Amino acid sequence: MIELIAQTGLNALYAAAYLSLVAVGLVLIFGVMGVINFAHGELFMLGAYVVVALYTGLEMPFVLVAALALMFVGCVGLLMEFAMFRPLRSNPLGGLVASIGFLVVLQALVSMGFGVRMEHVPPVTQEVIVFSEKVRLPVQRLAVIVAAALFLGALWLFLKRTRFGWALRASAQDPEAAALQGISIRKTSMMAMFIGGALAGVAGALTAPLISVNPNMGHSVIVAAFIVIIVGGVGSLEGAVVAAFAYSFIHTAVTTIWDGVIADIVGLLLMLGVLIVKPTGLFGTADRA
Amino acid sequence: MFTNFISRAHSRRKFIQSTSALAGLGALGLAVPGRGIASGHETIKIGFLAPLTGPVAAWGKPGLDGCRIWGEWVNADGGINIGGQNRMVEFVAYDNEYDPAKARTGATKLIREDGVVFVMMLGGDTWPGAQPVADRTGVLFSTLLPSDLGPDTTTLLAPAEVHPIYNVTGVAWLAENKPGLKTAVMCAQDDALGLPSVATYLAAFEAAGISMQQDPLLFDPATTDFAPVVTKLLAQNPDIFCLDTCYADYVHPITEQLFQQGYEGQIISCTADFYEQMIEKTSVEFMEGFLFQFPDFDDPALNESFINFPDPNKFYEVYNERHPGEWGAVSWEYASIMELWKSAAEQAGSIEPDAVLAAMKAGGKGEHAFGTADWWGEDLFGIDNALVGNWPVVVIENGKATVKEFQSIPDWYASHGELLKKHMAAYGQMWDQR
Repeated sequence: MIELIAQTGLNALYAAAYLSLVAVGLVLIFGVMGVINFAHGELFMLGAYVVVALYTGLEMPFVLVAALALMFVGCVGLLMEFAMFRPLRSNPLGGLVASIGFLVVLQALVSMGFGVRMEHVPPVTQEVIVFSEKVRLPVQRLAVIVAAALFLGALWLFLKRTRFGWALRASAQDPEAAALQGISIRKTSMMAMFIGGALAGVAGALTAPLISVNPNMGHSVIVAAFIVIIVGGVGSLEGAVVAAFAYSFIHTAVTTIWDGVIADIVGLLLMLGVLIVKPTGLFGTADRA
Repeated sequence: MFTNFISRAHSRRKFIQSTSALAGLGALGLAVPGRGIASGHETIKIGFLAPLTGPVAAWGKPGLDGCRIWGEWVNADGGINIGGQNRMVEFVAYDNEYDPAKARTGATKLIREDGVVFVMMLGGDTWPGAQPVADRTGVLFSTLLPSDLGPDTTTLLAPAEVHPIYNVTGVAWLAENKPGLKTAVMCAQDDALGLPSVATYLAAFEAAGISMQQDPLLFDPATTDFAPVVTKLLAQNPDIFCLDTCYADYVHPITEQLFQQGYEGQIISCTADFYEQMIEKTSVEFMEGFLFQFPDFDDPALNESFINFPDPNKFYEVYNERHPGEWGAVSWEYASIMELWKSAAEQAGSIEPDAVLAAMKAGGKGEHAFGTADWWGEDLFGIDNALVGNWPVVVIENGKATVKEFQSIPDWYASHGELLKKHMAAYGQMWDQR
């Protein structure tokens, strides 16, 4: 039983790691721009396809490819900000609808470029850390956990210790007051979209060798990410991380005890429960809810 | 690649439809006036209504690719002889995306606009969408999933694959050849493909004296991380890990998880599409003995005299030349249905559904790809429209799929049919429960 609990914990840690990266990016975009980016799952998918193109296709080093995925998807985020969200800044609902349209466009582009089949991504390493006969952690999964911790730590430092980070937080708290202080809303929006896209892209790239890569893979990730940001409190980065861990541990545990279908129901009930008890989410504030 | 596709402003569906149609016409030599059509004979159009995109595409698209090769060969050989007149064959594809509504639209389009005389489907969730069109028009349809059959589906045939009934042959072979395996666990996606297969495997395990250590674990088709599923099932220390009829998108990550979590027992699965990729993600040693039900057609066993498929080895070779690494469970199946349909149409001297159906079922026997088989199914499906005979048991040996034996499905059913009906009923999969 102890081994089962330990292995479940490791499984949950991995799920929490990549889900945190996706959810934090989503929250950052909403916090700064007030836009719900429905295409965020497809940014995750794009990161995975960068791996398919460069690591599987051109056999480039995986670490380099992951870095390129981060940059590329971050730039896609910039493109979205420039072409979609900026013209619709005064119309948050328009931004939401545009992101749904962009979601379809990204899926179509990937389908046209790569086909609709599941893509094969060779393993980066087959090394497994064996704690006991039934408690194992593949090094690829450990890499996702470590990378997520590093990226989230770096983001925290950036937001707390740099002038750009302060500007982002100020824009998220009160855009008008931030603008009066000379902070460029345009620049902070671009920064939020780049960081949000880059985090989703690197999450997709790091997990690509571990999951089925296909044009529809963003769906399940975005559903989980939405649950996480609602539970954590819409607009709260800390809430997103805490909720990602809570959701992942609960979902993984329920899957292990019962099954995945019940786990999905429990995940939705968790969201429902939080909305009833604390409608702003665990870390949310009333003005953002 | 990126500059190439970014410059196009088509939707995915439009792109796939147009390329499918162009490729199909090109492959069959029909895009150029003066070839197939110039003979002066009317072309026979066959509908291909299956998922060409989405998660189930692996059981549609490779079948269309196989049909195109088959069509080329038939046309090069003079076409299909109907009443003394040689007629070319052309496949018209429609991507139903495994969606019932799209299947209905597709069936209507194929029959009303394209004038197809026979429609091949994967079936499953999409058959209820197409059924009203089939009933209204009387056009003959085929499915790969006999669980679509019912007493009212008089124009629906399951002539290639008796999914999931043939899965019993794999379990029976294991019981005969590896009698030390006594316990099993199973997981499957919770859908129309997964559930009847779960019932079949349960019946097969019970018949073989292999006990299930827990109820089959059904997972949401949206699952992406299978680590918790595998952790849960491996906690039972099973001798056999059964992957049921999972889609390739699930078989691969589950198998990889089994490898990563240190499983050393027997794996059995309905399919192992693109198994070379699984070997790359695990190891040749880990995949040794992986049992499934679909052979590579370069297998010497496919050259036996009882095999009713034109030059299987050459077919496999041509297929892999054109679609390297894409050979899968259905690559040959739709082509084998066409072989049966062609034979029946030539025998009937007509392409009319009633005449073809009567010729196909004459004498209650048919020439299935894996040997002469019986039109069967009244007991289980309420209608004798499934062609049932032998089915191969395939095992991966030294990194290559190898046919170990052809086993008789009717023989198994004669001994254990009641068990199968019991488990099918328990999962609501009998024809009168669906």
